[in-house]
Amino acid sequence: MASKFERFAALHVPGDPVVLYNIWDVGSALAVERAGAKALATGSHPVADAQGWPDGQQVPLDFALANAKRIVDATDLPLTVDFESAYSDDPAQGGANVVRLAATGAVGCNFEDQVIGGEGLHPLEQQVERIAAIRSAVGDAFFINARTDLFLKTQTFDDALVDQAVERGKAFADAGASGFFVPRLADARQIERVVREVPLPLNVIAFPGAPPKAEWAAAGVARISHGPFPHRALMAKLEEMAREAIS
Amino acid sequence: MNQTDKAKAFAELHLSGDPLILFNIWDAGSAQAVAKAGAKAIASGSASVAEAYGAQDGEDVPMEAALANAARIVGSVDLPVTIDFEGGYAVDPEETAGNVQRLAELGAIGCNFEDQVVGGQGMHDVDLQARRIAAVRAAVGPYFFINARTDYFLQARPDAHDSALADAAIDRVKAYAEAGASGFFIPGLTDLGLVERIVEASPLPVNAMTWPGAPSRREWADAGIARISYGPGPFRQMQDWLETAARAAFA
Repeated sequence: MASKFERFAALHVPGDPVVLYNIWDVGSALAVERAGAKALATGSHPVADAQGWPDGQQVPLDFALANAKRIVDATDLPLTVDFESAYSDDPAQGGANVVRLAATGAVGCNFEDQVIGGEGLHPLEQQVERIAAIRSAVGDAFFINARTDLFLKTQTFDDALVDQAVERGKAFADAGASGFFVPRLADARQIERVVREVPLPLNVIAFPGAPPKAEWAAAGVARISHGPFPHRALMAKLEEMAREAIS
Repeated sequence: MNQTDKAKAFAELHLSGDPLILFNIWDAGSAQAVAKAGAKAIASGSASVAEAYGAQDGEDVPMEAALANAARIVGSVDLPVTIDFEGGYAVDPEETAGNVQRLAELGAIGCNFEDQVVGGQGMHDVDLQARRIAAVRAAVGPYFFINARTDYFLQARPDAHDSALADAAIDRVKAYAEAGASGFFIPGLTDLGLVERIVEASPLPVNAMTWPGAPSRREWADAGIARISYGPGPFRQMQDWLETAARAAFA
């Protein structure tokens, strides 16, 4: 029987994307499992919002790990954790932190290239070194979803930006990443180019008003996640219901 | 507002016939959503907290995790926060009081405190429960809102909710009031005649739990209820809503 990691990796099919409806705790994990999820994925922002912390590694590492462990224990589905920047700029420490995450039973993580608590992105060379250190520490059976934050740091989504994304994606692949995640990349033509040139399954985020899933699938997307939007929508619904009860 | 002022303001919201509405929450995020909706106070529900965490109701969430969650909730809103603290994570009065004191020290202005034997059968006898309440009162000072809950109407099936059971509850509320409780919580009871009977005899404001199909807000108010809480309902409705939304995303 295939391992949880193998089951999870095999879900990444360009043109037939796995949909990840992001969760934040055991309760949300079980609700999304009942909905027929094939895999579970936390979002760092909802995990933070649910507990009243800001995003950007303000969720204490021990809490993030304990939360992941509780989710793994509550379900048979593969879990990938949004691990932000692995809680360290140092490649070896980042690798050690991801090993702790893998020990919870999570089969993968998101790993981003923005400087947490600072400006801009880690230089490509440094980010490559960090990914390589994680791969070497955690072994082959762990899905490193290497994220570039290029599209989160600008409003100008031009071809030059796509060039940079492609350059990063290729380098991340060489360093041992399993997937390439480009939040806010949405244009089908730009997606097609990234899919063609980067040898990793591509992950994009669905957002309110995003193109239909079929359009992204046709462009070659292999994974669609929902980021902070499920939690935000749920909290808006809760507010509406509470207002009705209180008024 | 400091904690004492918040506790006093919270107590004043308990008006028989014009009940305080508590739409129960489970974490800081849900507390903030309910605060934005215009709530006057925030109340956690232990079953919801447990299910969100991945545990069972009945003090299965480790106390340290429950306290840390309570502290995050208190820190996320300016409103008075009352925590459903089940049986206080102990049986012994002094140990229970020490635990509730920790809850007060982290900024909660009140708690639910129940008389069922958590993890066992039945209910603590009335003398022991009164001693537990008295110990808590001595530890937390005069303003912390101890919402003393009786589990009679959860332990007995609705068709066994009769005037004898209501009278037993009345004996309890009198003993609990004497021991220093601030309010009396009767979850599970929906027979409005019995509710009225308890309200009339109770020296404390009475809290009902509501859900879809239970009496309306107007009916609770007319029966003299001073506080209406929603228990696990909001969490479960949110779980259903999330499931539906996820199903649509997977389609």
